[in-house]
Amino acid sequence: MLTGKDIFESIGKDRPSVPEGYFTDLKARLGSIPERSIVRQGPWSSVRPYLALAASFVAIAVISTAVLKNTTKSQSPDQFLNEDSYAEILSITNPEILYSEPEFEMEELTDDDIINYLIETGVRAEHLAYAGNQY
Amino acid sequence: MTDKEILELYKAGEREKAFGEIVESYSERLYWHVRRFLCSHEDTDDLLQEIFIKIWSSLSSFRGDSSLYTWIYRIATNESLNFLQKQKIRAALRFESMSSKLEEKIDEDNGVDGNEAQKALMKAVQRLPAKQRTVFIMRWFDDLSYEDISEILGTSVGALKASYHFASEKIKTELEKYLK
Repeated sequence: MLTGKDIFESIGKDRPSVPEGYFTDLKARLGSIPERSIVRQGPWSSVRPYLALAASFVAIAVISTAVLKNTTKSQSPDQFLNEDSYAEILSITNPEILYSEPEFEMEELTDDDIINYLIETGVRAEHLAYAGNQY
Repeated sequence: MTDKEILELYKAGEREKAFGEIVESYSERLYWHVRRFLCSHEDTDDLLQEIFIKIWSSLSSFRGDSSLYTWIYRIATNESLNFLQKQKIRAALRFESMSSKLEEKIDEDNGVDGNEAQKALMKAVQRLPAKQRTVFIMRWFDDLSYEDISEILGTSVGALKASYHFASEKIKTELEKYLK
């Protein structure tokens, strides 16, 4: 039985086959790499990185403008005017009034107020009689 | 033309001619080097294009710290290992095993038809860990010296010898099973 290095020696270093004329074709293809890279480069290739940089700045500006427009509320000039005029009517001597609750007293409703209201809203007489009994 | 003459030609401004000489000297050698890694003629052909494009575009930055020969082999080896790494990720995404994929390629590869022992050897090589596989291919198939491999991979000669020893032992064990 073969052992050690003999195993490798017995198998040898046979190379797999390649298509006929492959290496001649390969050398021709690889040899044309400089020509192809010159054709590929041209004058356009020197400007391209700068254009790409400029395009990326424009893209960032457009995207950030769109985001800002969508996320912030726009105010019309009328709103500004309203705020200004509101400021004008505020009491300068007592500005806290803006933050205080309005002070007025609720008037107690009388029976007559209720019946007048019911008549105005078109409530029928029998219902009014029932309401009268209630009050 | 020697590597030194090629570099002198390049420095003299004859860049395309120098590159042509590199293609002439290295294309066939690198083809076999890469094919041992990829186990497929089509993949090797595609990757060789990428390798030589890289050589052409990086040649201007070659400082001559290492020899042209080891620099070119380093590019080819790195590109081959990167290619296999990408294939491995793609295989993992499809829940497939990379080594079985490579073994399929070895079986499909028309080149080694008829030589079953060669197929068994290549399959055993593909089952090795990446570093051992790289060292074994460079030492056994490419006949590179440990010193050259050390310069290409940036690993000490001692570590390379150890890797080659472990790789050989594993392959022998696999082949002994096959040859019984």
